[in-house]
Amino acid sequence: MPIKAANSHREASSGQSDSGYPKLRRPTRPAISWTIPLVGSGSGLIAAIALAISLHNIWVGLILGVLVGVAYAVISQSNAKPSVESIFTGAALGFPLWTVLNIVVIPLYSGAAPQWSAAGMRTLLPCLVGWIIYGALLGILIPSLNALFTRYGPEPTAATPRVAEHPCIRIVILGGGFAGTTTAEQLEHHFGADRRVSFTLISEGNALLFTPMLAEVAGGGLEPSHISSPLRTSLHRTQVLRARVTGIDFEQRCVFADSGEGAQALNVPYDHVVFALGSRANYFGNENVRQNSFDFKALLDAIRIRNHVIGMFELADAEENDLTRQELLRFVIAGGGFAGVELAGALNDFARGILADYPHLRPEDVQVIVVHPHAILPELSPSLGEYARRQMEVRGVRFELGRRVLDAGPGTVKLDTHEIRTRTLVWTAGTAPNPLLRAIGLETDKRGAVLVDSTLAIAHRAGLWALGDCAAVVDAKNGKPCPPTAQFALRQARTLARNIKADLEGRKLDQFHFDSLGALCVVGYHTACAELNLPRSIGKALRFSGLLAWLMWRGIYLSKLPGFERKIRVFLDWNIELFFPRDIVQTIDLK
Amino acid sequence: MNRFEVNKMGQIQTAEKMDPRLVEVMVGAIAGILGGLLFSAGAHSDLLQGPVIGALFGASFGFIFARRCANPGAGLIWGLGYAFLLWLVIPVGVLPLLSGAMVRDGMLATTRSQFPELVAYIVCFGAPLGLALGALSIIWPRIRPSAFSVSRALVGGGLAGAIAGLVFGRWMSAGGFYPLIAGLLKPGDTTGKSLHYAVAVAIGCVFGLLFQRDIRGLGSSVGWGAGYGILWWFLGPLTLWPLAGGQGIHWSYSNATDLFGPLVGHIVYGLIIGFVYATVDRMWVRFFSESDPINREPEGPGLRAWNAAKWGLLASLAGGLLFSALLWSTGSLSKLAGLADGSSALLGFVINMAVSAAIGVSYGLLFQREAPNLTSGICWGTVYGMIWWFAGPLTLLPLFLTGACDWRLTAAVSLLPLLVGHLLYGIVTATVFYLLERKHAEWLLLDLRVAAREERLRRSIETPAPALWVFVMGVGLLAPIVLA
Repeated sequence: MPIKAANSHREASSGQSDSGYPKLRRPTRPAISWTIPLVGSGSGLIAAIALAISLHNIWVGLILGVLVGVAYAVISQSNAKPSVESIFTGAALGFPLWTVLNIVVIPLYSGAAPQWSAAGMRTLLPCLVGWIIYGALLGILIPSLNALFTRYGPEPTAATPRVAEHPCIRIVILGGGFAGTTTAEQLEHHFGADRRVSFTLISEGNALLFTPMLAEVAGGGLEPSHISSPLRTSLHRTQVLRARVTGIDFEQRCVFADSGEGAQALNVPYDHVVFALGSRANYFGNENVRQNSFDFKALLDAIRIRNHVIGMFELADAEENDLTRQELLRFVIAGGGFAGVELAGALNDFARGILADYPHLRPEDVQVIVVHPHAILPELSPSLGEYARRQMEVRGVRFELGRRVLDAGPGTVKLDTHEIRTRTLVWTAGTAPNPLLRAIGLETDKRGAVLVDSTLAIAHRAGLWALGDCAAVVDAKNGKPCPPTAQFALRQARTLARNIKADLEGRKLDQFHFDSLGALCVVGYHTACAELNLPRSIGKALRFSGLLAWLMWRGIYLSKLPGFERKIRVFLDWNIELFFPRDIVQTIDLK
Repeated sequence: MNRFEVNKMGQIQTAEKMDPRLVEVMVGAIAGILGGLLFSAGAHSDLLQGPVIGALFGASFGFIFARRCANPGAGLIWGLGYAFLLWLVIPVGVLPLLSGAMVRDGMLATTRSQFPELVAYIVCFGAPLGLALGALSIIWPRIRPSAFSVSRALVGGGLAGAIAGLVFGRWMSAGGFYPLIAGLLKPGDTTGKSLHYAVAVAIGCVFGLLFQRDIRGLGSSVGWGAGYGILWWFLGPLTLWPLAGGQGIHWSYSNATDLFGPLVGHIVYGLIIGFVYATVDRMWVRFFSESDPINREPEGPGLRAWNAAKWGLLASLAGGLLFSALLWSTGSLSKLAGLADGSSALLGFVINMAVSAAIGVSYGLLFQREAPNLTSGICWGTVYGMIWWFAGPLTLLPLFLTGACDWRLTAAVSLLPLLVGHLLYGIVTATVFYLLERKHAEWLLLDLRVAAREERLRRSIETPAPALWVFVMGVGLLAPIVLA
């Protein structure tokens, strides 16, 4: 695919030659036509006769009349014809104008107290009549003069075009995860109703998945749709295309996408493109593992795992052979990072919780095993990792630490030391950036993440940006690579949206810097670990564990969950769990 | 003259032999002449003067307003607004100015002397003309008539009337009279009480029948209710009850001064009718008309209400601060603290801000989508501020503090600074609310689906709302100033 040798991004951002990339040069609000103040002042001047008589002061009456007339003409810009509605509206405005100006403002301006006593208001009664007549006249005159100008006045010049007539700058965001969706939201926020810019988001799913709560879906604690926010309702003015990105033509500035079987391929032109394609599970080339394990990245993965676990319980309940029953109820999770540990904790709670519904099964038949080459939860401090391991072991989770999954087949998982008989293997042991980035010729690091500078722009390619799990972002302040977490993706999205706007307006771009707020990991019901970094104190962190950390986890993630409606639903799910057991309805059949 | 017929496209097909405008002018003139006869009797004027004025009034009204009088309710409101504006411009404004009476007697004396004209304009010309031309539109429609349900109007209106009558009955029992039939009823009279409730229900039903088509939400309904209550003050205590009591019509300003308490009562009564009617009406529509999935809104009513309440709250901060400054300058903040058994200005400020916030939230909930532009927003805000002056310092505050409403004219006059404060609060709150609502709407309107929905839900400019503002603000503001 041809790639254009674009000018440097620095040139573009400084407002110099930008290889034809459009810039924003006009204000976002439409200019007020010169005729409107003219019509307003003319109408106000004529109508002010009523004011001049009632105020007993010609000059004050005329000045007020003109000023109010201009203001009224500006705020009621319309091409409506004179009508009784406009006359009555103008007359009705006489009441608030009298209250504000005659009762309060003019007395205060002249150093007196507001005239709101009965005597004061009676004195000002002629002014009230004057304002009402003035307003009614204004209601006739402004639309009439407007109509006259429209008919006999000069043609509108090209100097006052409407915003919608500007050529549109197309910003295309690839990926609908945290990074992509937040970028779109931030762009909407920054550009507001500016129609000179259009946004398109291409995503394989039609919803933003809140991954921190994915383990609870697999564990049956939350309804699947409650942790997903539809992109079409979250985004107000972004065009959402549900499609898989298949390629990009940098020369023609066009993204190619496939929206599904039988559908026509999409060609989406762009002026700026944001890569937020996220990551995929990394099986390190082991096809057997890929075929015989569950992935744990998407909502469908969590639904499959939950249904599979219930299916295993159904089979085990009817199984008389002890070894086979134990094999059915043995669940192996490869990977001891956040995803693996949280999934193990949730599955362990779920499996042991539903035992009551299967009277033929014994607690000792259920085994949840975590396989990890090192100590679990390397993202947290060792003490918290150790706490998590101990707590989970007490609850019945078994750890195969210092070991790796080498291979997998139907009914078996092969470790480097021994084999485990199981029908369930969930793979959380590795991720890699979306392979498309390397395939389309972008410069990537060893992991396959696209290289960006500290402004999140792809070097030497004007109009190309990247962030999130698929980008190798280096913190501008400390020079450290940013971890591929949602926390960083959200902040990168904010910086990137600001930078795109700054780039379009020819301003200086921001450098990305963010100090991690910390990390939270739930290891089972009522138990979690939390490590919160103190602001402006490098290396110092507050550590929490147990019920307090679990409450913090719920509180913080509930507040982070996008959408008020989703928050309510999840909150209700959690509270329902206080009174009712988890549901064991099998919604999909995996046989 | 052939009938007007509405085709499937909503256009009027006529094969009339007579110009419809001529018919409207003629109907207006005839109704005006009939009203003029009553005017002559009521204002004790020359027998010819009333019909001549009535004919001119009716013909001009028919010529200008007939197409806007799409139904009797809309016609009534346009008629009331036109009558008030005409009275203010001609007998109060231009004629005294030309004759030199304004310079000689002053505006206040002129306005007071012309008060019988105001009653006559409203009772004899504005109301009957509007109803007549509205009825003409029902018989010979010139535009496709909007949907109308008689049962909904009667049930909602009757219920609203009964509840408003009940509230009145309780509040006014201490005073020993019922405003709706003041003068007819003696304290403790069971028949009178029954009559009071029967009249209340009937008035509620008429409200539903007249205004169902024009009322869109609770806010506009409250505004319509205030106008309706004022109309009933002109019709009832000032006109019909004296006639029924055999006392003859006395439309003088001094008689109106005596009846200021019932004016406040009628306004509050109208507010209750408007609020209850709109509540029942909207529930009826939700349950029986608009609950089908095809018309389902993408946003739930809870979210819309949340947004409206949020903007109302934010808007009320600006209005509340301004109002607090006014209260502080009049020394009323410490008086307000009496609500919490305190006397400090700070406590009064906190109470005022809390009340402002509650009223701001209620403004947001009641008036969402009512204002298509800033001027409409300011007018609704002014009306709402005025409504709260009648409902707050004159009614609820004394009710909470002393257990009885204080609708005396002297009390109203002493509370005039607060009226200004309420008006300013309403203006500022409505302006900020409109700006917040417009910001959200501009954002939403980028989505074509939402734009179509907003267009459908938002009150259009072509409604009798401007006439209602003029009538309600005019009478509501002038009455305590002029009658005292």
